[in-house]
Amino acid sequence: MGELVGWVFDGLLALSLVLLAARVVASARLFESIVLFIVFGLLMAIAWARLAAPHLALAEAAIGAGITGALLLSTFREIVTDQPPSAEAPKVLVYRLRVLMALLAGGVFAVLGWALLSIEVPAGPAAGEQARALVARTGVDDAVTAVLLDFRAYDTLLEMGVLLLAVLGARAAVAAQPPASGDDLWIGGEGDTPMVGALVGLLSPLIIIVAGYLLWVGAYGPGGAFQAGAVLAALGVLLRLTGRLVPLPRAGAFQRGVLVMGLAVFSLAGLLTMATGRAFLQYPEGLAYPMILVIEVALTLSIALPLVLLFSGSAGIAAGRSQHSP
Amino acid sequence: MTALALGMAAFLLLNLAAGLLRVYRGPSGADRIIAAQLFGTTTVAMLALLAMVTEQPGLFDVALVFVLLATVLTVAFVRLPRRSQERER
Repeated sequence: MGELVGWVFDGLLALSLVLLAARVVASARLFESIVLFIVFGLLMAIAWARLAAPHLALAEAAIGAGITGALLLSTFREIVTDQPPSAEAPKVLVYRLRVLMALLAGGVFAVLGWALLSIEVPAGPAAGEQARALVARTGVDDAVTAVLLDFRAYDTLLEMGVLLLAVLGARAAVAAQPPASGDDLWIGGEGDTPMVGALVGLLSPLIIIVAGYLLWVGAYGPGGAFQAGAVLAALGVLLRLTGRLVPLPRAGAFQRGVLVMGLAVFSLAGLLTMATGRAFLQYPEGLAYPMILVIEVALTLSIALPLVLLFSGSAGIAAGRSQHSP
Repeated sequence: MTALALGMAAFLLLNLAAGLLRVYRGPSGADRIIAAQLFGTTTVAMLALLAMVTEQPGLFDVALVFVLLATVLTVAFVRLPRRSQERER
C-alpha cells in the first residue's frame, strides 16, 4: 500500500515539475514566470528529498528561498523601473532564436542520452561501495562531505576559484556600467516600516545560528560549507534589501581578504600536506577532521561574501544606516 | 503509517496544484506572491512528512531553512514599485 501511494506521489511530483517548467518558459507574463520558478525550486527540493539526497534539498532550499527569488524580483524591479513597456517586439528574430535554442538543447539532450545508454555497467562491487568503505578514514561520518573535502578536494578547491572568478567578472561588468540613478535605498527611500526593524532584529541572529549549525552538522549529516555559506548569504541579501548593507564602489582590504580566504586556506592546507611528504591535500591520518573543519569554516565565509556581492551588484558592501531604530 | 503519511503528502501536492490556479489567474502580483508563500508552507509540511516516512532527519533541517528564509522573498517583493505589484503587464 505504502509503495503504491509512493508511486502516486512521485508521479504527481514529476508531472508537476514538468508542467511548471513548461509554464515558466511559456508564460507571457514575466512576474508569473518568476513566481513559478520559485515554486519550481520548492518542488525540486521535495524531489531531492524523495531521491534521498538531503544535501541537494538543503542547497536548493538555501539558494532558492534565500537568494534566487530575491535576485529575480530585484531584476524584475530594475526592468520595470528602467524600461517602460514597449509595444513592438522583434518577434521574428526571437522566434527563430527559440527554434535554434530548442534544436540545440534537443541535440545536447540526445547526445547525453546516448552517452548514458552506452555506458557499460561494470560487474562486481561498484566504486561507490568501495568509496563508502573509505569514508571512515576521512574522520567525517558524512559521505558527501568526505567526497567534497577529501576524495575530490582538488575539484572543490577549483570550484572556489570559479566562484572568485565569477565575482571578478561581475565586478568588471559593474565597473563598465555604473548604476544610472541613486535609486538604491529600500522602497525608494521612504524609510522603514515598523515591521522591518523587528523582522531583521529577529531573523539575523537565527540565520547566523542556523548557518553555524549547518556548517557543524556537515561532519555527520546533510550540511556543510556550501549550504552554510548560502544561508549566511541569504542574511546578506535580507540586510541589503532592507538598507542595512549598502553597496560600495570598492572593496576594502578586509572584504578582499574574506573573498580569497577560502582559496588561500585550502591551498595552504594542500601545500602543508605536500611539505610533510604527502600528495597535495592528502590529509595525515587523524588530522583529517580538524583540517577539513578549518577549511570548511574558511569556505563558508568565502562562499557567503561572493554571493552577497553578486546579489548586490557592487564591488564591496558596507553597513548602512538604519532609518528606523527599533 | 507510511501509506497515510505519503497519502497526506500527495494531498498537499494536489493542494499546491490547485493553488497554482491563483498564480495563473492573479490578477495582481500580490496574489501570486502570496500563493508562492503558501506553497512554501505546504513544502515545509511535505518535507516534515517525508522526513518521518523515509527516516531522513536531515529533511527537518531543509524544512527549517525554508521557514527561516521565507520572508526574504516577501521583503524583495515589497521593494517593487507599487504599480508592478498591483497589475501585470
